[in-house]
Amino acid sequence: MSDARNSKFVEVTGLTQRFPAPKDQGGTLTVYENVSFDIAKGEFVCIIGHSGCGKSTILSTLAGLNDPTEGGIIMNGKEIRGPSLERGIVFQNYSLLPWLSALNNVVFGVRARFPDWSKDEVRAHSEKFLSLVGLDAALDRKPSQLSGGMRQRVSIARAFATQPSLLLLDEPFGALDALTRGTIQDELLKIWSETRQTVFMITHDVDEAILLADRILLMSNSPNARVAEAVEIAIERPRRRAEIIDNPGYYTIRNYLVNFLHSEAKRPAQLVKTDGRPRAVNPLTLSPNRRAEPSRA
Amino acid sequence: MGTRVKSIGVSLLMLIVLLGAWELSSQPPAATEALTEYELLMGGAEQEARVPPPSAVALRAWEELSDPFYDKGPNDKGIGIQVAYSLARVLSGFFLAALIAIPVGFLIGMSPVMYGALNPYIQVLRPISPLAWMPLALFIIQDSNASAVFVIFICSIWPMLMNTAFGVAGVRKDWVNVARTHELSSLKTAFQVILPAAAPTILTGMRISIGIAWLVIVAAEMLVGGTGVGYYVWNEWNNLDLTSVIFSILVIGVIGMLLDLGLSAATRLVTYQE
Amino acid sequence: MSSILPMGAIKAAAQDAAGKLEKTKLSIGFVPITCATPIIMAKPLGFYERYGLDVDVIKTAGWAVARDKSLAGEYDASHMLTPMPLAMTMGAGSIAEPYLMPAVENINGQAIVLHNDHLDKRDPKDWKGFKFGVPFEYSMHNFLLRYYVAEHGLDPDVDIQIRVVPPPEMVANLRAGNLDGYLSPDPFNQRAVWEKIGFIHILTKDIWEGHPCCAFACPASMATETPNTYAALLKSIVDATQFSSNPENRSDIATAISPKNYLNQPEAVVRQVLTGRFADGLGNVLDVPDRIDFDPFPWHSMAVWILTQMKRWGYVEGDIDYRQIAEQVYVASDCAAAMKELGYEPPSETYKSYSIMGKTFDPARPEEYAKSFPIGKA
Repeated sequence: MSDARNSKFVEVTGLTQRFPAPKDQGGTLTVYENVSFDIAKGEFVCIIGHSGCGKSTILSTLAGLNDPTEGGIIMNGKEIRGPSLERGIVFQNYSLLPWLSALNNVVFGVRARFPDWSKDEVRAHSEKFLSLVGLDAALDRKPSQLSGGMRQRVSIARAFATQPSLLLLDEPFGALDALTRGTIQDELLKIWSETRQTVFMITHDVDEAILLADRILLMSNSPNARVAEAVEIAIERPRRRAEIIDNPGYYTIRNYLVNFLHSEAKRPAQLVKTDGRPRAVNPLTLSPNRRAEPSRA
Repeated sequence: MGTRVKSIGVSLLMLIVLLGAWELSSQPPAATEALTEYELLMGGAEQEARVPPPSAVALRAWEELSDPFYDKGPNDKGIGIQVAYSLARVLSGFFLAALIAIPVGFLIGMSPVMYGALNPYIQVLRPISPLAWMPLALFIIQDSNASAVFVIFICSIWPMLMNTAFGVAGVRKDWVNVARTHELSSLKTAFQVILPAAAPTILTGMRISIGIAWLVIVAAEMLVGGTGVGYYVWNEWNNLDLTSVIFSILVIGVIGMLLDLGLSAATRLVTYQE
Repeated sequence: MSSILPMGAIKAAAQDAAGKLEKTKLSIGFVPITCATPIIMAKPLGFYERYGLDVDVIKTAGWAVARDKSLAGEYDASHMLTPMPLAMTMGAGSIAEPYLMPAVENINGQAIVLHNDHLDKRDPKDWKGFKFGVPFEYSMHNFLLRYYVAEHGLDPDVDIQIRVVPPPEMVANLRAGNLDGYLSPDPFNQRAVWEKIGFIHILTKDIWEGHPCCAFACPASMATETPNTYAALLKSIVDATQFSSNPENRSDIATAISPKNYLNQPEAVVRQVLTGRFADGLGNVLDVPDRIDFDPFPWHSMAVWILTQMKRWGYVEGDIDYRQIAEQVYVASDCAAAMKELGYEPPSETYKSYSIMGKTFDPARPEEYAKSFPIGKA
């Protein structure tokens, strides 16, 4: 794999999120604490964890839409304060503007990013990305006239068209059926292979994560969740959905991940190193008896 | 047979039955013999305060509508001219109100502080009947035309204001986040995201307002006179000419309906499906 | 109240009839009742034109609006009720603004109408609890009604209810039962008979023969700022008034003022009022040629009588200089000048005494008169 890990494009340090607890309980609720990890430039990172562990909150914080209780994030040498065009988001529920056609939704983003471009340039650029996600025929349709899958594709096209340095995807395929999901995963890989942006994606689907990611961050359960491990996916690219399951390392990695989610996720703070950083693991290089069990700190 | 065709059929049938009953019950008694002078001076057997039949109303409607723009002096003009004057006042007051209601509504919808600050005044002023404003307006403004426009303004501003505030405050946070993540300035966010998102609600407010405005202008003109459809009704009322009164009421109703249709078409233009 | 009107200047100005007219296009308001006959008919019968004026007579919805539009300047002059210029000058019921009444529009011309249900209640003593309509507080109608019922032993503020109703709505309210009767301007008295809803109980000329009713009024500023226009206008009004008083002209006038643009009433009704040959609603055809009459002279004694009644019923309080206000507002001298120019002989006095329902009014002793009534607040 790359040693792009050495160039820390995104540095997350000591991220903590606390909320005041419900009135009858008093005190504060800590969703996660002391989360620290890095993302290298051009890396595709997925994060997996059980519901409620705070993945979306971390993503919001990365996006600049949420202020952390403690800790901070540095991207490209600058601290993240508020949203920016350098961080594009594909929201879980698409967030397309319903009064604009598919094309105009993408145009919206492109115009915001490249205000000096002419109308024709903007249009051509937008059409290119919509075509990349296979929506040539649906340019003038409004979101209400598109299926869920198509809407998500428009959302992806919009995000990629603005060419942000960091792309944040919040369970983008969560609402789609398995068949559509498969098609879109391929399209995502296709676009990403051309643009090679840095990507941070939340997903519940282990297979999807293995297909897409260079590394997978594993989060423990809330409250007091941590990013426990950073699992390296040492499978060569280009990866194809139909073929990847034939890869010899596939099930090793998969079992490792599934085991973590089933048992280890429940364990508290022992899972991390004291500085909050996740343990780096490559399941393919673990000794056989340890492949079945994720190790402890 | 489609549902729509059936409804139209039933509706027409109801109309025919009602009009028929009305016509039959309103026939005046026939004069039998020559009238004495007393009877003549009393207006004959026929002359008695009664509701005119629809045939009389239809006849009057035909007379008035076939020459709607005549001008026989300041107190006697055709129905077309009267309606034009009233519409001019309504539209002036209405657009003036929109000019203020929509920006202020925006402000209130986007800022909880401003909402809290302005809300008490709105709640106190809103229930005041526009006709109660009339004497005050006449006193301060000293011009009956301008006072009528002011009364329209003060009564049509509230629905537009409240609906705009409501529409703006209710814009989905997701869409606002889209604007934020695209680094749109506040002004651009307002025009490119919030305005289109709130547009159906705003236009609904405008539709409510125009209905109220049309209602009020008739009453205001009856109070103050001049030229206008309310004055027309009042003038015919002076003469206890119920036929003309009914005709003018129907005209008022039709114009009101047309105004509503216009705004409802405009609302459909900006409506979107989520 | 100190006088701010330079009476000498006004008199001099009014007599300068040979001067050029400062303003020829005027708006004059009128309420569509037969009292305003001279003001109205002067338009179609060309009296304004004769004196070089281009006048629009504008129909007004009611007395309050007439007052407000006059005060606002939308009307250059207006048809008003004879008490109104006095009230407006004194600031009773509105802001104080000096007004002039150089001409009375009509004398007599009103009636008390009762609903047909009350055919058996001709004695006012039976009227306890009745609701009566009058067109305005500051009106001869109000004062005559009060005087009439008080003479029959009823207290108008206690035993009956007096409501202000615009004249056109009187008939409808009578029909609906909101009123038991009204003392209103014509043609709405005759109209109630025509609509077979009520009958004429008594003509006001039988309460006070020759009582003033409606007025032609204008702001005092008109006389001082545009004296030539003022003089021309006054002449046209006085001329029209004298023309109207001639019984031969009454029928033609009825035809001229009945259409939609003016009174908007059936011509037959207006004719009954103006000619005095009318059906009374009780089965009789009566002949009373001076049922309504037109005499422009604004007697100062009329003003004093009105002021005494305003004092009597509490519309004004405190000491009033009756003569001073009367002479300031009712510019009898201007009217006399106009009458002379037209070839009529004005009265030599401006005060005379009246006999109203058998009681004598002496204009020299107004305060005593105001206090002499058993029923009243003075």
